[in-house]
Amino acid sequence: MIGTLARRSLRVRLGRTIFIALSILAGVAFVSGAFVLADSLKGTFDNLVDGLTGDIDLQVRTQLTVDELDAVRDPLPVALVDDVAAVPGVRLAEGGLARAAQMLDPDGRPVTTQGAPTVGVSWNPDSELTGVELRAGVAPNGIDEVAIDKATADRVGYDVGDQITILFGTGQRTFTIVGLVGLGESDGFVGATTSVFDPATAAVVFDAKDTVDTIDIKVADGADPDAVQVAITEMLPARIEVVTGQQLADETKDQIGEILSIFGTGLLIFAAITAFVAAFVINNVYGITIGQRLRELALLRAVGASAKQIRRLVLLEAAGVAVIATVIGIFGGYAVAQGIIGAFNAAGGGFPPTPLLMKPRTVIVSAVVGIGVTLLSVLVPAIRAAKIPPVAAMRPELGFTALSASRRLIGGAIVTSVGIAMFLVGLFLRPGGGKGLAIFAGGGALMTFLGVTNLSTTIARPVSRAIGAPIQQLFGTAGRIARDNASRSPRRTARTASALMIGVALISAAAIFTSSLRDTFGRILDRAITADYIVWDTESFQPLPPEVASRLEALPELSAVSPFRTIRADVGNDTATITAINPSSFPELVDLDVTQGGYDRMVGADGVMVWRSAAEDQGYGVGDTIDVTWQNGVESTLTVAGLFDDNSLDAAWLISIETLESVSTQTPSDQFVLAKRADGVGVNQATDAIRATLADFPQANPQTDGEFRDQQEGQINQLLYLITILLMVAIAFSFLGIAITLALSVFERTREIGLLRAVGMNRRQLRRSVRWEAVIVALFGVVVGVVVGSVFGIALSYAVPNTVIDGITFPIPTLILVFLVAIVAAVGAALYPAFKASRMNVLEAIATE
Amino acid sequence: MHNTELTIAAGSIDARKTYGDGDAAVHALDGVTISFEAGRFTAIMGPSGSGKSTLLHCLAGLDDLSSGSASIGGTDLATLDDKRLTELRRTQVGFIFQAYNLIPTLTAEENILLPLMLGGDSPDSAWFEQVVHTVGLGDRLKHRPSELSGGQQQRVAVARALVSQPTIIFADEPTGNLDSNAGGEMLRFMRQAVDQHGQTIVMVTHDPYAAAHADRVVFLADGKVVDELDRPTAESIIDRMKQIGH
Repeated sequence: MIGTLARRSLRVRLGRTIFIALSILAGVAFVSGAFVLADSLKGTFDNLVDGLTGDIDLQVRTQLTVDELDAVRDPLPVALVDDVAAVPGVRLAEGGLARAAQMLDPDGRPVTTQGAPTVGVSWNPDSELTGVELRAGVAPNGIDEVAIDKATADRVGYDVGDQITILFGTGQRTFTIVGLVGLGESDGFVGATTSVFDPATAAVVFDAKDTVDTIDIKVADGADPDAVQVAITEMLPARIEVVTGQQLADETKDQIGEILSIFGTGLLIFAAITAFVAAFVINNVYGITIGQRLRELALLRAVGASAKQIRRLVLLEAAGVAVIATVIGIFGGYAVAQGIIGAFNAAGGGFPPTPLLMKPRTVIVSAVVGIGVTLLSVLVPAIRAAKIPPVAAMRPELGFTALSASRRLIGGAIVTSVGIAMFLVGLFLRPGGGKGLAIFAGGGALMTFLGVTNLSTTIARPVSRAIGAPIQQLFGTAGRIARDNASRSPRRTARTASALMIGVALISAAAIFTSSLRDTFGRILDRAITADYIVWDTESFQPLPPEVASRLEALPELSAVSPFRTIRADVGNDTATITAINPSSFPELVDLDVTQGGYDRMVGADGVMVWRSAAEDQGYGVGDTIDVTWQNGVESTLTVAGLFDDNSLDAAWLISIETLESVSTQTPSDQFVLAKRADGVGVNQATDAIRATLADFPQANPQTDGEFRDQQEGQINQLLYLITILLMVAIAFSFLGIAITLALSVFERTREIGLLRAVGMNRRQLRRSVRWEAVIVALFGVVVGVVVGSVFGIALSYAVPNTVIDGITFPIPTLILVFLVAIVAAVGAALYPAFKASRMNVLEAIATE
Repeated sequence: MHNTELTIAAGSIDARKTYGDGDAAVHALDGVTISFEAGRFTAIMGPSGSGKSTLLHCLAGLDDLSSGSASIGGTDLATLDDKRLTELRRTQVGFIFQAYNLIPTLTAEENILLPLMLGGDSPDSAWFEQVVHTVGLGDRLKHRPSELSGGQQQRVAVARALVSQPTIIFADEPTGNLDSNAGGEMLRFMRQAVDQHGQTIVMVTHDPYAAAHADRVVFLADGKVVDELDRPTAESIIDRMKQIGH
């Protein structure tokens, strides 16, 4: 019987059922999609890695003492290839090279990658040791031949037979494309541009100077790979290691997995937000419909339904929708994953063709989220429904005993305080690392939202009256009725607005954080950077060859030039990034507020300038010597040349280029190059001179500090756009929630609306009153959201180091935009309810009880 | 479920129901002692605010008393917890309200069988046929309430009250929303149920012509029983109402 009732109720209230189903579906599809995407990409990348390394039994390489993602290994002497080949049990040993190689497109512009590497590799097509496969043409052979990856060729418009110019550290060369290559099933290498040369050509174009990057080894048939590995280890010089192909594959997979899990976690956060907002909306819609079905439920009680049966009825109805919506939502995850891959590829992401993977874990988690969230959000309405006394069938006014305002206020205040406290603990004390951050800050934020929803019930009446005051001034009676309706059921107004409050709070927090970040960045530029130019790869974000800095140093139009080059090292008890600069010109380009010692002490003496706070942490003073283990395992000593107070550049340890080159044999590359105009040289004159001398390096873009600032601000704004787009689903649902709540309210007030019409209110006035009611409710959500978001945004800004954010900027224009968008969206949400209200038959409406 | 030993189907002793407290206290029932014999049709009359609906709700176990006691079939309602009270309503009590009698999503047939289905009991199909035949709903059984006229909806409510063969049926202004034809029909069905099947019915009404169908009329004013009339006619009821003063 209860099952029949539940089923019928779902069918009769079809609009509401579909809406609730959509809310659940969106949340579940987002969750499922995040997992599907992460699992599928992991599977695809693992296959790619296996393709690349599967044939390799052992590999010789230099050691790296730090995380692989942060650093590049030093090369090996080429002579080592023959030594390794001579080890008994080694059947084949091949040196391989992989270095920077920037392609130019047919119009002479650099082929950009959005941050993926622009790489060239050596390839011996006859070798068994390669995953690279020819897709078209032939393998490159000779100093003027190249093969490129088919994905890039297709994207940029190259084909076999075309001429291509490629930039190397030493300058540019032109080749004929003789072949197109792929890797396994993929035509590309995850967004990277790849040029392939025969080994001899690679050594020449990279100017490898008798070095190779790796030695790949095939073990003879019948030989024991472990024994061969031991034998090689014994003959290797210091700081060179030999690893198995399996270890190589595992390392690479782990690194990719790490990046993907950050990506997946990010998506899951937004999935959780969407599910949370959906829960709010569902809870509100159920709360209202339970109120409207009061007499029906009381009647059931009167004719003999137990409280338990009523509770079961409400839960069963919800579960029915939840199950169907969850099943569809889980499969919707495929669409979400495909959509995200498509969006990234459209932006040049270069994901390989990825077969989508639905693991049992995905299905289980999605089902728990979909069904669990729905049942949780109807739990309170179900308990309330079960408490309806049977006498309410005749006396609806006895229906509910609502939670008293003061209990709600106290409960809300406690939950809010605990939520904010958890949020702050998560941000500032960070117990338990990344996971703790998610649990404390994330859980704290969710609790805050719950608490604020209850608190806002208390302020919904006065605040919505205040928001409505100008509307009443402007729109007379219609505005007056809108204002009264919005403020007469503060609980409903607060709950309806809450879903929107969450989205707005998150957007305002992000907006405050990003605008503070942007302004801090501007202040750093003003304060610390005295250079006129920042030369860097503004498209693919790849490091520049040192030749760029050398050519700039030769220009008479520039008075000071310094590269900015990084290396990782263990310093004392910490792993740090150490930055190499030109100490004689650096003081003219950057003002770091040197308080002790000076750059002059660095010259010729392995000196290091240290940020005061880092030096104090380790107990170093000027003149002290520091033992350093560099990323390649080399050990050396540095002398503290001076201390500075300003770490705006996030470079706490500064050494000279000479010092760096004395410990590392890596092909040098610079993050960027700073330059200052000589006295009396105009901006245009200097810019022209720089462009002329860098004509061979079109990827090196000389930006004035103004252009640099504009671009960085653009990047920060894009971060805000991305967050906003990801929150869009949740926000769309909160407006749908406003629409459905309003439609239900209009239905509830049928008789009242009939009366208003009967005494002379016309349809337009009626529509207007519904519309403005929606606007007042939405603006209430926005006001509360901005307040909560400000707390979060300010806390977040203080939680990051003050070299990243050193002051709060309120993004007034963004917040005004949020208000305007909310008004427009609310008017849109009111369209249907207003239409329904205006279409009511006056007589029938009045006759309704 | 017929009482053979006890002839009292339901009743109250010194029933009091007070809303609010202190100076604002309203005594909706101010010491009502009354009993309803099995197999009789009783009407309760009184002006608005006399407490007649409150009395009905408290007697039926829909609402609780502030003091005193109410019983059905010899069971003191105050001794029952919500679960047993629910069971009692389902098995021993039938209801007919003025409006909102039916669950809008269920058909007429499902509405009639609702109390039985809620208890997981299977209906006695012969009795069901007879009830449906009595109230004349044969061809409307598969219809939803919204597809039925007001009179038909009330007949469905009567059928629902009868089908579980309860100890007592409480009717709250059952004809209040009907035109005189449909109302008259309803009252004849109720009379028939008492005469042919020995059903006990207690009906609240303010209509003397409706009350005239009952075996006995009880008059309430200010929460107290003020008068009684056996074998009433419309005229005698109107006379008595004039004496009481409304």
